[in-house]
Amino acid sequence: MRLALRELRRRPGRFAVAGGAMAFLTVLLLFLGGLLDGLYLGSTGLIRSQAAELLTFSDDARLSLLRSRIDPPVRDEVEAVDGVESVRGLGVALVAASVPGENDLADVSLVGYEGGVEGVPDPPEADFVGYADRRLEAFGVEEGDRLGLGPDGIEVEVVGWVEDTSFLLQGGLWVTPATWREVLGSARPDAVLADGTFQALAVTVAPGADPAAVASAIDEATGSTETVTRDEAVLALPGVKEQSSTLSAIINTTFLVVGIVVALFFALVTLERSALYAVLKAIGASSRQLLVGVVVQAVVVAGAALAVGGLLTFLLSLVVPPGVPVQFEGGRALQVVVGVLVASVLGSAVSLRRVIKVDPADAIS
Amino acid sequence: MSSNLDSLHALRPTLGLAFREMRRARLRFGLLAGALGLLAFLVLFQQTLLTSLLGYFTGALESQSAEVLVYGEEARTSVEASVVLPDTVEEVAGVEGVGASAPLGENTFTAQVGGSLEDVVVFGYELGGPGAPTTLVEGRLPERDGEGVASDLDVDLGLDIGDVVALGPDEDVPIEIVGLAADLRFSVEPTVFTSFATFAAGREAVNPDAPFVPASLVAVAPADGVDPAELADRINAEVDGVEALTRADAVAQAPGVAETSQSFSIVFLLAYVVVAIVTGFFFLILTIQKQQAFTLLRAIGADGGVLAGAVMVQALVVTLVGILLGAGATALVAVLVDDDFAQVPDPRTVLTTGTVIIVLAALAALPSLRRVRRLEPADAAQPSAGLT
Repeated sequence: MRLALRELRRRPGRFAVAGGAMAFLTVLLLFLGGLLDGLYLGSTGLIRSQAAELLTFSDDARLSLLRSRIDPPVRDEVEAVDGVESVRGLGVALVAASVPGENDLADVSLVGYEGGVEGVPDPPEADFVGYADRRLEAFGVEEGDRLGLGPDGIEVEVVGWVEDTSFLLQGGLWVTPATWREVLGSARPDAVLADGTFQALAVTVAPGADPAAVASAIDEATGSTETVTRDEAVLALPGVKEQSSTLSAIINTTFLVVGIVVALFFALVTLERSALYAVLKAIGASSRQLLVGVVVQAVVVAGAALAVGGLLTFLLSLVVPPGVPVQFEGGRALQVVVGVLVASVLGSAVSLRRVIKVDPADAIS
Repeated sequence: MSSNLDSLHALRPTLGLAFREMRRARLRFGLLAGALGLLAFLVLFQQTLLTSLLGYFTGALESQSAEVLVYGEEARTSVEASVVLPDTVEEVAGVEGVGASAPLGENTFTAQVGGSLEDVVVFGYELGGPGAPTTLVEGRLPERDGEGVASDLDVDLGLDIGDVVALGPDEDVPIEIVGLAADLRFSVEPTVFTSFATFAAGREAVNPDAPFVPASLVAVAPADGVDPAELADRINAEVDGVEALTRADAVAQAPGVAETSQSFSIVFLLAYVVVAIVTGFFFLILTIQKQQAFTLLRAIGADGGVLAGAVMVQALVVTLVGILLGAGATALVAVLVDDDFAQVPDPRTVLTTGTVIIVLAALAALPSLRRVRRLEPADAAQPSAGLT
């Protein structure tokens, strides 16, 4: 192992090209992961932040919040189901907002809610004030701003910040149901909803009750709803499942490329060192020791590539256009680090056969 | 003719050396071709994905007849978010240079299709007016309310000619499919074009509380001789609260299109850099390994150009094989995976991507060529010849 590390120290240039390729592959992996996380987190925050275990939609909405409508009589039926502890109405309107002092309009998910949202205070006591998602800061929104919502420019004052509550890549603005209903009617006259009507219900299950059984009981009682868990509602959002599977496939293929690059590099290095390995074996080194040296070099090169790749990704993040929904998360970075290291170890192990085949007698041939 | 034959004759030693070595070291060159094939697959798969995705996002806008589309200003060029009130539709009709204009509605419905509920995007246009599908491949355009044209990609879903798609909670707004059109999807969903009246009936069935059903856009056909871009500018100048765009701009500025293109561009750039590095370092290491043999060949009279040419030929052949492997893998995925996005790669995409990869590989092989050309034949007489 010492020999392998000394070679790395004395001839780092030999490993620079493999390290360079892996550094760029690391950037590719981190960027793809950032894209996957950005798309997922930016689209699903509203649903993920619900404290309630279940969400009830009208059964003809196919779990689309924007197409669902739950009228007061249906809500009464849901509230009467055994195992239901509390029910809160929820609605959203995707609107553009003018921001004081800014030329560009902000994309806003205006959420009307009745509480029960993690990280979001209870609904404001007054209408036309709201808590804005930090995502809206990118549009120049500041606390105290009065945003003009929809074509009529209905003003809503930002009185606080919340985080990770976006919906379909538009920053959340959390307001009273009355404010939401008024803006919805102004922005989409054909989607206006009567007082008491919401798009969905967030249903908290009583302690000890089985959420799946309660969901079935709700749908049976109403005959017109589809009740799902929060996770199921997240996966039902348009594009979430497809984006995740497609980008994950690309990320996995990239890990495979990392393994092949490492395998290719160390296969060639091993070829080149055959004579040297024969000498080392002739003076007592075992195949295992030589192979450990190769693996150690692969891990060190991968470590350096990860560091350089991480730095390049950070620099890239500074110049990525604001419209690109990329979001870098610690968990994803850890996954990339582990994945690249594992791919490097596996790739370098491809040289195993060639190292074992080296004959010490070749040292004197 | 004679000079061409001479050129070919001159290339024989180069090609002979290159191909003979590749035949004898199949594993080594096969590994590189495999690695490049995987990288080419990565790029081609994503290219195909991007092309399909963008087409599915905006196909309906691109494949309708209105050359100018007028949005509500607040919509920020999003069809889904756009609302144009009836007075504004009238105002647009009165702008000089407008040949014909009509409301165009768009909404995603939960619809009964082929015995199950599906998400279907419905566009409503005035029959005979601007906004009609332009890429009909089978059947005919709607001639009355209750008829529609569907995307030809969704036949298996239950949107073939003669099928009926029903809107509304009680399925009380049926649309009979009378035609199929290419590239008609919108927001990656199955799409149907029908009359505006049918569209409005669907909206009213879904939401009885709605006081009226406004247009999403105004579809405009310029008068004869009027440039669509100039007409869009004129509408923007004369009508308050709207944003008029040419059809091409409407497609390019649709939400998500620019962001998706930018995201993929960064991914492609990184993938191309990796292609260049992998090819470059492979041939560099190979050249270093063969330095002793090259030096000896130079010493016995081999031309430096022939040796360097052999390296370049090998780089190009291996890259070409890699591209073919990548294209094959992409096509195989398209066949094996039952997914909307997994389409057989467009030959033009393969050609463009392949050309970029070949140029990059050729550039990446240049340092190896330089090293070969700079070999000193006299070094062959040194005891450690080539062992650098």
